[in-house]
Amino acid sequence: MSKIKNAFKNGKAFIGFLTAGDPTIDKTIEYIIAMQEAGCDLIEIGIPFSDPMAEGVVIQKSNVRALKNNTTTDDVFEIVEKVRKKTDIPLVFLTYINPVFFYGYEKFFKKCKNLGVDGIISPDLPYEEKGEIEDIARKNGVDVISLIAPTSQERIQKIAKDAEGFIYLVSSLGVTGMRSEIKTNLKDIVEDIKNVKDIPVAVGFGINTPKQASEISQYADGVIVGSAIVKIIEEYGENAKQPIKEYINSMKKACNNELE
Amino acid sequence: MVKLKICGVTRLQDIQLINKYKPDFVGFVFSDSTRKITESESKILKENLDPQIKTVGVFVDHEIDEIISLFRQNIIDIAQLHGSESQEYIDILKDRTNNQLKIIKAIEIKVEEDLNKLDYDCDFILLDSGKGSGKTFPWQLFNRKIKRNFFLAGGINKDNINDAIEKFHPYAVDISSGVEKDGFKDEGLIKEVMERLNLIKGRYGEYGGQYISETLMNELLFLEEEYKKKMADPEFKNELDTLLKEYAGRPSLLYYAKRMTEDLGGAKIYLKREDLNHTGAHKINNVLGQVLLAKKMGKTRVIAETGAGQHGVATATAAALLDMDCEIFMGEVDTERQALNVYKMELLGAKVHSVKSGTKTLKDAVNDAFREWIATLDTTNYVIGSTMGPHPFPMMVRDFQSVISQEIKQQILKKEGKLPNAVLACVGGGSNAMGAFYHFIEDEEVQLIGCEAGGKGIDTPYNAAALTNGKIGIFHGMKSLFNQGDYGQIAEVYSISAGLDYPGVGPEHAYLRDIGRANYVPIDDNEAVNAFEYLSRTEGIIPAIESSHAVAQAIKMAPEMNKDDIIVVCLSGRGDKDVRSIAQYRGVNIDE
Repeated sequence: MSKIKNAFKNGKAFIGFLTAGDPTIDKTIEYIIAMQEAGCDLIEIGIPFSDPMAEGVVIQKSNVRALKNNTTTDDVFEIVEKVRKKTDIPLVFLTYINPVFFYGYEKFFKKCKNLGVDGIISPDLPYEEKGEIEDIARKNGVDVISLIAPTSQERIQKIAKDAEGFIYLVSSLGVTGMRSEIKTNLKDIVEDIKNVKDIPVAVGFGINTPKQASEISQYADGVIVGSAIVKIIEEYGENAKQPIKEYINSMKKACNNELE
Repeated sequence: MVKLKICGVTRLQDIQLINKYKPDFVGFVFSDSTRKITESESKILKENLDPQIKTVGVFVDHEIDEIISLFRQNIIDIAQLHGSESQEYIDILKDRTNNQLKIIKAIEIKVEEDLNKLDYDCDFILLDSGKGSGKTFPWQLFNRKIKRNFFLAGGINKDNINDAIEKFHPYAVDISSGVEKDGFKDEGLIKEVMERLNLIKGRYGEYGGQYISETLMNELLFLEEEYKKKMADPEFKNELDTLLKEYAGRPSLLYYAKRMTEDLGGAKIYLKREDLNHTGAHKINNVLGQVLLAKKMGKTRVIAETGAGQHGVATATAAALLDMDCEIFMGEVDTERQALNVYKMELLGAKVHSVKSGTKTLKDAVNDAFREWIATLDTTNYVIGSTMGPHPFPMMVRDFQSVISQEIKQQILKKEGKLPNAVLACVGGGSNAMGAFYHFIEDEEVQLIGCEAGGKGIDTPYNAAALTNGKIGIFHGMKSLFNQGDYGQIAEVYSISAGLDYPGVGPEHAYLRDIGRANYVPIDDNEAVNAFEYLSRTEGIIPAIESSHAVAQAIKMAPEMNKDDIIVVCLSGRGDKDVRSIAQYRGVNIDE
């Protein structure tokens, strides 16, 4: 069993994302710890990729910065190893499938197991292709997190049925990035999912304000924020620890409906 | 994609099922078996069969005359030989039918050594456990790739068909008793087998697939469904055919390059003149199909990526013609080296986005086009320009481009009375090559040669030769071969040709390479530029720098071949757009 369920024990979950190696490997370690201290319940660590097709401009640029520092998959594992000495917060990788394929599925998931990575989210591995990693990941106790989109419709049934860990509900069409308004009727989708399986549902893509976090927490089990955190890192570089903590603190409170 | 043969049909109601579910091949058994039929029975079955489905006659050491007679009466297209027929026997059949009868030689696999007996010179081999025994042969023997096109037979049914395909990557699976109940073909079982085959659709051996965001999945499924529906709709087909004929100018000429042939002193060289199509390249074949499909699907807008600008111009053209909004994504680097095409697209009413992310070339244009599509899929279709991306794009683009090989085949048979020895085409993503190869895949005697961008040399980092230098990976929605660096980062690639400057290749090419059906060679910048100039001087035809890669290979090969050999070069586009950069390459400044 992975530790992912722990993330949803403490009220509504706040899930934060950052790209490994942006701005540096050491800073990534520091920021992950800071995120945990500020109230993150689960952290998504992005493995940088040359062509992050599902990302908006903010996370694209973050990938560029990380790759400019020559951040490798082995470096990302090193980050996990060091983080694990300080916290047992649930950790999942957000990665395009090619770096994993190239590394070798067996080797990759064995390392995940040994270092304590609890799950993997791969934006280019839909239900039809999850056979690539499903068995190897399961063997190593790593949850393969399924995504459900506003366009999934009747696919929700089969995706939810096989889902592990939690479900990543994509809030709207398009790529990642901060949006001022989310129009999709997410509440209905969450209900559809819960009718199939009792599994936590966390909503991501576009969320950046406490107000949005508070609204979504009314019906979802968690809120995922990436671009807003990465934007802080872009702005503050090596001095982002304090602003990240403040931001996450306010978002976590919003998730639990303690609006300031 | 894996083809299906349903063998041993005996009754008219079987034919009705076949016509309904449309496998690729149907088998008539003429040898001793419970499913044996007579010549007169086969004639009636054939008369009632959908003419698109190919018929295979199954024989065991029959008289050659008997087989030839069935072929001449149009009852069979293919002969499947299950006895001790020799190579000589096969050669006689081939000779007496002017190579028109296709041959499948069946081989029984009982022990591992049997896998060494696969080198018959014929169109296909078929691996079976016995003479239609209905049992699987020992699958565990298979630990090597079979480097040729083969049919897999013996005990295949709905329960093991997916495993069989995953393990063996056959060209086709052959099912008989697996779709029978009480000794007769059964609709439920046929339907189930077709459904299971559909689950592995979009695969070419291990390549292909649909590695794409969940948000796009239903749209891709919808696109595939609509595509299949429309392609089966005579009205749509007719509309498309009319556009190809009246607007694009098809069929394109197959031109005998006499001076080039004489100068090189070897094989006869024919040029398939895709450069004469409207908009000056093969791209229009695919674009008319996809944009018309988008329109019929109720979309109001199309987007596309472009490298050299040819696909962008073609898409903008089709969008203007069919009254659709159009936006084109083009790498910033390419907008500079192909400025003329940018202006053309704008002239045609399209908006051109200069892509500034990543390497600012074709791959980044594809990334941004996908990003745009995922946000606008309600109104918009993404018109992919090559045989790449997630299923159904590689299949759709290949189908739309396959008109090239369909025409070459008819034209060369008319002019020369025989098939060419080799078909040459340049390969970036691989759409003109797939189009030029497709209808020849079944003709094993025709060499298929793809010419990749060797850039400044395949031993340097400056090339785009994914089939020569690439490694298997997953990117842009497909599993295929990609130029990639350590840790699977997609590499920056280089070619003088913007249209070939792509770090991957379509999945079907990767598969054709693996099974040895096509060969791929790198052509460097210098060879391509020389060929560009050579064809201009020798034939008065200025080829696109992309197509010049294929011309260069012809220049290398032709002198080594006999005078009665034939090479067909797919001249995928015209070279006007390249004149400026070739001048630059030669150190001539033509801009003031």
